[in-house]
Order: sequence, then structure tokens, then C-alpha cells
Amino acid sequence: MDVNVPDARLMPDTLAPPAAFSGRGRRFAWTLLLLAVAFGAVPAAIVGTGSSYLAQIAITTMIFVILSASLNHVTGTAGLLSIGHAAFYGIGAYAAALLSTRLGLPFIVTLPAAGLIAALFGFLVALPTMRLVSIYFAVATLGIGEMIYVILLNWIDLTRGPMGIRGIPPIGLLGWQADTLLSRYLAVAVIAVACVWVLHRLTHSYYGNALRALREDDQCADSMGINVERLKIESFVVATFFAGVAGALLAHTSAYIAPDNFRFMESILILAMVVVGGLGSLPGAVVGALFMIVLPEALRDIGDYRMIAVGATMFLSILLLPKGMLAEGTALGFVRRSFSRGWATIAGGTPVGWK
Amino acid sequence: MSNTLLSIQGLTRRFGGLLAVSDVSATIAKGELVGLIGPNGAGKTTLFNLITGFTPPSDGTVTFDGQDVTGRKPWRIARMGMGRTFQNLRVFPNMTVFDNVSVGAVGAFGQSPWRALFNGGAHSRAVSERSWEALERVGLTAQAGDIAANLSYGKRKYLEIARALATSPRLLILDEPAAGLNDTETAELADFIRRLHAGGVTVLLVEHDMGLVMGSCSRVIVLASGRKIADGTPEAVQRDPAVLEAYLGVEDDAA
Repeated sequence: MDVNVPDARLMPDTLAPPAAFSGRGRRFAWTLLLLAVAFGAVPAAIVGTGSSYLAQIAITTMIFVILSASLNHVTGTAGLLSIGHAAFYGIGAYAAALLSTRLGLPFIVTLPAAGLIAALFGFLVALPTMRLVSIYFAVATLGIGEMIYVILLNWIDLTRGPMGIRGIPPIGLLGWQADTLLSRYLAVAVIAVACVWVLHRLTHSYYGNALRALREDDQCADSMGINVERLKIESFVVATFFAGVAGALLAHTSAYIAPDNFRFMESILILAMVVVGGLGSLPGAVVGALFMIVLPEALRDIGDYRMIAVGATMFLSILLLPKGMLAEGTALGFVRRSFSRGWATIAGGTPVGWK
Repeated sequence: MSNTLLSIQGLTRRFGGLLAVSDVSATIAKGELVGLIGPNGAGKTTLFNLITGFTPPSDGTVTFDGQDVTGRKPWRIARMGMGRTFQNLRVFPNMTVFDNVSVGAVGAFGQSPWRALFNGGAHSRAVSERSWEALERVGLTAQAGDIAANLSYGKRKYLEIARALATSPRLLILDEPAAGLNDTETAELADFIRRLHAGGVTVLLVEHDMGLVMGSCSRVIVLASGRKIADGTPEAVQRDPAVLEAYLGVEDDAA
């Protein structure tokens, strides 16, 4: 990192692809590996064991991957600390649940509708709060989150309050219904991968650089010609849209939702995933979600001690890896190299820029 | 006066009872290298902020490239072609050198989430090439992949200039670029600014360092207590009794 290379020769990929970048197999190796895990290894394990427990964990993990990746977009990348993410997750879940149970709308409608309704609320929240800085913005999102939770709990006519909504139909498409564990997992996985792909394209681009600039110094970004206010609102709207999508997936896979699924602790859990994984790092957010969902389950054998073990692991990981398991700088370099997103490679093999 | 790039008329800014900038008028023509000097508290920074849009003026107008930009947001003014650096080094510390510079280029080319998602290839290439050119101009290409916070102080100065250059400024305003540099580094910087100017960039140099301004600028504007007290060639300004009084406090015969 600190090595000074006296003669930096620019090698844009289009002109002279360096050895590491050449070959389509190498270029897609990581993409293929990840897809093989999500659509090969995990489904094989679900089918092989026939375990509904395993399938449920896999589904929950995928939903939380969306939540953590979307929160990372606004909090890690754009630097707006939101501690009310679960509320938008809740809005999406209730939107999907109500649209399908009351109006009988199909999943193909309720899924985008849940995202759009959550994003609309996100937009309305963002408009007046974007001028707030750091901790003040966090407190505002905390307040909004609690408000939404209390509304879900008390607007009995609409939400049935603490009784929750049951009988939400499963994921389906044109007559086909995801009524087996495997198909349910696969449907969720496809959508989760699509969500992460969109966030990947947004983050790992010059648009993403502008978002990072907001976090680093928004006044300075302003004087570079970056429309700071608009960008902040966009990042919040994008994050809340995906939280809404995650909510719809929860509603349609668990058939039952209640306000308690969307409490403050849930927001903190999502935030912990982002921080443990690495603030600003999309691969980190995915790893963080995996870690925080899978670890407590893996530790079931030690009974009540498991949450202590999870807490201790979180504490130690932050102590030892303050920038997270996959720090942002490392993650960006990794994406540039392994997903071939870098613009060029300079002497020393460091990829720079974005495609 | 189609040759005028920046024109300020009767610019005034009050902070409560304090008159930070009072009725300052000046123009900068295309291709000039102008220095703005003044003792501490003269109102240089306030004037700077009035021009770049960070502070709205209490009175007066700012015209840039024939358009009234008074009260416009900083990013709009920046996008019209006014690039700046900061007095107290404000690089984006956790981003790489290249990514820092790219923000200036993104500012100039515009940002859009849709472009990032679909069909952004040409835009990205333009941003990349512009950023690389800016790094070449300041000689930081070897550090392109380094995290900005790890650069030396002097190199971070050049990084800031490169980032401003990436916005393709028609007017580049440098806010005390020599602050914190030793004599050798200041001389190098002066040389760099002269080359930049020779390459066709109009520069407004807000400075404390008299040597840098007097040696490089063709014209010098002097500010004291919020007022413009002189505007002319370095030689004329140096002989101006009002300037000597404001700057040195007493008239001496050293000159």
C-alpha cells in the first residue's frame, strides 16, 4: 500500500489486459463460485437433509443479506447513520401482507409495491432530515422507527395490532406457487441476488465514489459539483426500497407477521451486521449477515450461553478488526480485481477506478 | 468586457454587527493569474466563501462567465466551472488517490444512479480518463492506488489541486496553498502554479505568503478590514502606502 512505484504505467483493460485479468474463466470465477453456493450447494443441502430448519435459516439469511446490504448502502457508503431500518422492513412486510390478503394481489405486484411504498416513506422521511448531520440524523431515524412500530401496533383496523396478520399467501408466479421448502428458498435467493447485484452496481461505480465522498466530507463534495442533498435522499430511498422488498419476502415466506418482527432491536441487529462485516463494504455486509444469522444457530448446542458467545464474538471481532471482517478498502480492491470492475491496473498490479 | 470571467460588484457580508466584507468590487479576466492577499482577519476567507456560494452575501452580486450566480448553491457554481481547494487540506481520507480525484470528474460530468446500473461505460471511461489526466498534471500517478490519508502533507496538497482540476475549472481558486509548506516546497508550488497558468487555467490565488503572490501573479488585490485597499501590479501594490500600513502596521523604509 505504501510502496512507491517510480514508473506507473497505465494499462487500461481495453488496451492491454494484465495477465490476472485475462481469460473469461478467471474473470467470472468469483461470480460463478458465489452463484454455485447460493443455487447449488445450499439447495443441495436442503434437499439432501430434507431439513425445514436448514431451509428456514437459509431463507432468513437471504432476507437479512438484503437488509444488511441495503443499510450498508446508506450508512456504510453514504455515511448516514440510520437506526430505524427495521421500520421500513416492517412497512414493506405490512404492505405486501395487506395487499395480498385484503386485495388478493399476486406476489409479482406485492413485491415491487412493498419496495415502492417503503421507498415512498423513506423519501418523505429523508426530505426534512437530510440537512441533519451525523448523530442528529441517527436520532431522527430512531424516532421515525419507533413511531412506525407504534403505528403498526396500534392501528388495529389496518394492521390488526399485536395479533399480526396471518394467512399471507406464499411466493408465486403465474399460477406456480413456492409451496416446497426448496422452491421457497430458491425464489428468495433469486431476489436477494438481484438486490445485491443492483447495490453492487450502484456502490462499485463512480456514483458510489460520489456517495463515499458525501460520507468523507459533504461540504467538500459540494464544492466539487456534487449535488449533495439529492444524493443523500437517493441513497436513503434506495436503502428503504430494498428494506421494503426484504419485508415482502418475510411476509410471503413466513405467512405470518406481527409488529414485534420490526422492533428497534431488529434495526440494531442489522446495523451490527454492517459494522461487523465492515462499514462501507458490500461483501462485508453479506458476510456480516451470514455471520450474525448462522453463528447463533450453529451454537444452539450450548443452549443459553450461545447469545453470550455471539456477543463476545462481536465484541472481539470489532476489537481486533475495527474496520470489520472485510474492510472497505480491501473490499473495493477485491471487487475491482475479482469481479473485473476496475478501469485500469497501474504498475504494481493495483487496479484503480471503475468500469 | 466579454473577456471577464469573474466579476464581483459591491459584495458585502455582515455577521451580526461585524462587517466581514464591505463593498468589494473586482474583476478577473480570462487567462489571468491574480493574487488576493490581506492580513489575518481581512476577510479573505469570507470573500472566498461568498464567491464560491458557501455563504450568501448580504449585498452585492457575483457574476461568473456572464451569469449572475449570487446565492446559487456551491455545487451549481462548481459545475459551471469554478474549482477550488481548501486552506485546511480536505482530501477524502479513506478513499484512494484516484477515487478522490474522480469525485471532481463526477461533479463535472454529473452523477446518476441509472447510469451506474445500465449503460454507464462511456461515462465511466470519461471520468476515468479525466481523473488520470488530472493526476498526471500534478505527478501523482504512481500513488493512484494509495489511500489518500497515507500521503505526505505536501502530496495531499497536490491531490487537492488535481481533484479541483478534474472538474475542468475555467477559474481555479486556491485557498492558501502554501500554508504549512517549507521554502523549497513553496518554490516548487509557485513553479507548478505558473505552469498551470501557462497551460491556460485562470487562477485566483488567495494567499498569506507574500513571496508566492508577488513572484507569480500579474495582478494583486489587497484586502484589509473587509475592504479592498489596492488592486494592481505587484510592484505598484508593494509601493502603495495603504498596503504598507495595513500589512506592516507601520511605514518603514526597508523598501
